[in-house]
Amino acid sequence: MSPEVLVFDILGVLAVIAAAGVVLARNPVHSAVALVLTFVNLAGIFVILRAEFLAAVQIIVYTGAILVLVLFVIMLVNQEDLPEFHAGRPLQRVLGFIIGLMLLGEITAAILSRTVVGQPGPWTEDTVARAGGNVQVLGQFLYSGYVLPIQAIAIVLLVGTIGALVLARPDEMGTARPRVRRSSTLSLGHPRGADYAYDPAALPSGLVAAQAGEQPRGEKRGGLIMVKDADLYTNVPAWELDEIAAVPVGGNGYDGDVTGEIIDGMGVGSERER
Amino acid sequence: MDHLTAEHFLLLSAALFIIGMMGVLTRRNVLVIFMSVELMINAVNVAFVGFAWEQNSMVGQTFALFVIAVAAAESILGLGIIMALSRRVDTVDVGQVTSLRD
Repeated sequence: MSPEVLVFDILGVLAVIAAAGVVLARNPVHSAVALVLTFVNLAGIFVILRAEFLAAVQIIVYTGAILVLVLFVIMLVNQEDLPEFHAGRPLQRVLGFIIGLMLLGEITAAILSRTVVGQPGPWTEDTVARAGGNVQVLGQFLYSGYVLPIQAIAIVLLVGTIGALVLARPDEMGTARPRVRRSSTLSLGHPRGADYAYDPAALPSGLVAAQAGEQPRGEKRGGLIMVKDADLYTNVPAWELDEIAAVPVGGNGYDGDVTGEIIDGMGVGSERER
Repeated sequence: MDHLTAEHFLLLSAALFIIGMMGVLTRRNVLVIFMSVELMINAVNVAFVGFAWEQNSMVGQTFALFVIAVAAAESILGLGIIMALSRRVDTVDVGQVTSLRD
């Protein structure tokens, strides 16, 4: 057994054990550490495969960037309630294991019975060394025949960055908009939402928490009307309201100058809406 | 086998891929599933570079480089989605994320 095979065996076995640790560990942080070990061993295997640049990229990009990101996300998301600590799903596990073993046997048979060998390329160890090394050859290769894919990758990374910004943005714009819509709003003496004029003096006694689902909507509560949505309790548009009785200063009734007739009309409207 | 052949690397790649696949199939923590996907991507990279080594070619290494770049973009987006998901449903259990089904 040549030393090359020995080194490969050590690295490969370590990589496989660490990969099994990724899947088997209960704590996600342990999984991430095992993933680091796997990636480092794979970088060593890339060195055996004469892909030194890829080994460096593997270390820098995977263990340097992606794994740090994974660890940050593990710390950021709510982990109190780890799924695997509760009742697992034995059936799912057994099925996954059996399917994996079957597929592994299939792929192993395919690999061992492999006969197709293509036309060998020019980049033997000697020619690569003569051209200056793996990095030089790979750079020449990339920037002569693969310029367009490199531009495409640049766009992919740009779009990914923008997408990550949009996805991980704080609540006010991106993710929580439905939650805001679900919560009820409080309308104080709004002429279109109120069937009772707003009276500032009645505020302390009439302060009731909004219970849109329990109380009849639009009910009088000592001068303070709790409504879910101003448009929900009347079918009289605002401009017609202004024509029926010229609502004075403020227009939206914040000064409580709504007349009685309109208020009755609005009460009917709210009944109908309900 | 007292010298290295492409079969060594292909078998290693297959083993890593299957382990990652088992992780995706059996685990419920979305972060561990994400890490298993990374494992599968790396297994494919090993196969690419192994073939390139066998054929004395550079195309496999070029492909592996592109795969790494795409995997970086994928991981950024995946982690962003995981963060948005945990903020919205407050769990990392994929069994509880059923808003599309219900």
